[in-house]
Amino acid sequence: MSSVRRIAREEWRLWLRSKVVVAAALIVAVLIAVTSILTANRIANEQAQRVEQQVAAEQTFFAQPDRHPHRMVHYGHYAFRPPPPLAVFEPGVDAVTGQSIFLEGHRQNTAMFADTKAAADLGGFAALTPASLYQLFLPLLLIVLGHALFLRERESGTLAVILAQGLPGTKLALGKAAALLAVIAMFMLPLIAVAAYSVTLGERMLAAFSLVGGYFVYLCAWGAIVLAASVLLTQRAVSLGVLIFVWLFAALIVPRFAINASSAAVDAPGKIESDLIMLAEQRKLGDGHNAADPAFMQLQAEVLEQYDVETIEELPINWRGVVAAYSEAELTDLLNSYAEERMRLEASQSRIFGLFGLLSPTIAVSSASRAIAGTDLATHHRFLRESEALRFGFVQALNEKHAAELDYAIDMNRNADEAARLRARVNASAWQVLDEFRFAPDGADERLGRAGGSLGILLAWLLAAGGIVLVAARRVRL
Amino acid sequence: MTSPLEAKSLSLVREGNAVLDGVSFTVARGEIFALLGGNGAGKSSTLLTFLGFLKPSGGEVLVNGQSVTGDVAAARGAIAYLPEAASLYGHMTAYENLDYFLDLAGKPAGRADLDAALDRVALPAEARTRRLRSYSKGMRQKTAIALALLRETPILLLDEPTSGLDPVAIDEFHDLVKALAGGGQTVLMVTHDVYGACQVADRVGLLRGGKLVGSFSAANGERIDTETVHAAFAERQAA
Ligand SMILES: Nc1ncnc2c1ncn2[C@@H]1O[C@H](COP(=O)(O)OP(=O)(O)OP(=O)(O)O)[C@@H](O)[C@H]1O
Ligand SMILES: [Mg+2]
Repeated sequence: MSSVRRIAREEWRLWLRSKVVVAAALIVAVLIAVTSILTANRIANEQAQRVEQQVAAEQTFFAQPDRHPHRMVHYGHYAFRPPPPLAVFEPGVDAVTGQSIFLEGHRQNTAMFADTKAAADLGGFAALTPASLYQLFLPLLLIVLGHALFLRERESGTLAVILAQGLPGTKLALGKAAALLAVIAMFMLPLIAVAAYSVTLGERMLAAFSLVGGYFVYLCAWGAIVLAASVLLTQRAVSLGVLIFVWLFAALIVPRFAINASSAAVDAPGKIESDLIMLAEQRKLGDGHNAADPAFMQLQAEVLEQYDVETIEELPINWRGVVAAYSEAELTDLLNSYAEERMRLEASQSRIFGLFGLLSPTIAVSSASRAIAGTDLATHHRFLRESEALRFGFVQALNEKHAAELDYAIDMNRNADEAARLRARVNASAWQVLDEFRFAPDGADERLGRAGGSLGILLAWLLAAGGIVLVAARRVRL
Repeated sequence: MTSPLEAKSLSLVREGNAVLDGVSFTVARGEIFALLGGNGAGKSSTLLTFLGFLKPSGGEVLVNGQSVTGDVAAARGAIAYLPEAASLYGHMTAYENLDYFLDLAGKPAGRADLDAALDRVALPAEARTRRLRSYSKGMRQKTAIALALLRETPILLLDEPTSGLDPVAIDEFHDLVKALAGGGQTVLMVTHDVYGACQVADRVGLLRGGKLVGSFSAANGERIDTETVHAAFAERQAA
């Protein structure tokens, strides 16, 4: 048996002999198993539910009776974002951003303009999810298990005996690393189970196992940091203290700081402030419900000329519908430009936050984990854009029906009496304009591409910490 | 022919203090060389330098004619070392300790070999399956000596090997060392036992304040005279 394997085996025997270590490992294993099962249940339910809700919402829309088309514009519609299978493990921003939005005319969903603070709370390290257990608690357990891994030999004087047998310090360190690696491999089992389960829910193999790989590299990086401390330091109390501090730094201090720094660096206006500006600009566009609004004089002139008529009553189409479509387009342009600006700010905040992974592997793994799971900000933004396109599509289609299928005179007269109201309707077949909407997660390649930077940072952490271990072990002194 | 062990004008500085100062000696193949000296004289440091744990600040140490700093692995491969404090694992039995360290040395041994070595140091058979935590000091020392024997290296560096041993065990140990040297193994040992050193060694060196201040050899088959060495030791300590 190679000496590296022998050292690792003895280390395991020692751990198994220590009841505290076994108890700690058991508690964590149970914790991970329980949180995984609980979230898995919730997600599986939600996923099925959201698709059902989407179908139900569409059917209700299609099933509406004959109505005035503009009533349908305000009747609205729902768009649902089913949680991706890996949200079982990593709910990511979903908890903050919500997963369903209401779509209606002249209004963009509020989620698009939610307070930046909520979206910038990219860290979200607060909730007890399987992901946060892996990100925060497992490194802590590695610290408890490994802080004296190497220095214990120095303390007890056995280091001299080991080295005097001709065993290089690097091999001793590798043996200890192998022992820790076996612990990490054991820690990976629940995640592997979750990944396999997500594949049965439709997740791509590549994504599921990249997530496993990402966390494996993350825990190995922590293992290397722990081992480095135990090679470089000579007292176990010091080693434990230093490692706990590193953990606090990586898991709590840097993420808090990164959130503040990224929102400070990218100055996003507060919600109230931007709402006021937006409202002022919106007023200038005129009210699409009032076809007589002076804001539409220019349009009126153009349309009259186009149809070569003198008055709107002579137009072959319903002027009110034309105005509604025109003002919807104008308003949407305005709101979209605000929404895009806001998403651009959030995306740069998220990018800056991700760069702090260079200071904390915990941030790097959290960014990678969300991107791979499809619960990151980018996925949420795509959902907002797609549901907005859906909204604009059906609202404008209804406005077109309004212009083409409802006579202007009947429309103007709609409030005269009940009979007039009943006449001012279009046939229910018009509601088929609604497109079916199914939000699908990005392909595995694309998600991996987004996670690439963070995964690279994680690998760099592992290589750096591993390198320190090897260099320190090679020149180890008694 | 190159000597198994050679110190050439060896100087050593530990944490800013000069510990060894121009120490030169050689130990020939099959020879037993005993280093005597007061506490802090630099005896243990000398052994650690041969093992490459400490780097000379001047001069050099050679193992089988090769500079230790040049090839630490070769030196450690050729040497079995008995540390000053017998540091084996308290949570393991004698068998487990020996098995483990021999495995790390790349020289695994079977149970019969282990028993043979433990017999030679007279560790009671009953104790061999007990954890070292429950051992007396001398029993731990015997186990550590057994490990050094089992390595079957050409060179033995022994730091106070008889410390903790009872008088009978000390005599038996001296016989053992003589037998090993007779078999061609080279022994450099450090001790406070002037009488014992004179009994067992072919040559005794006297170290004081990091300098080799005296050397006594056995003349024509006789043992080194204890009285002479003792007198020199006392006188030079006082000086
Ligand atoms: N780990 C150490 N770091 C720094 N200096 C040390 C260390 N160990 C010993 N020394 C110093 O080196 C000098 C020689 O110590 P050494 O252990 O070689 O003496 P020794 O002859 O073996 O003594 P003893 O008979 O007490 O075992 C002493 O002055 C001691 O203070
Ligand atoms: Mg000593």
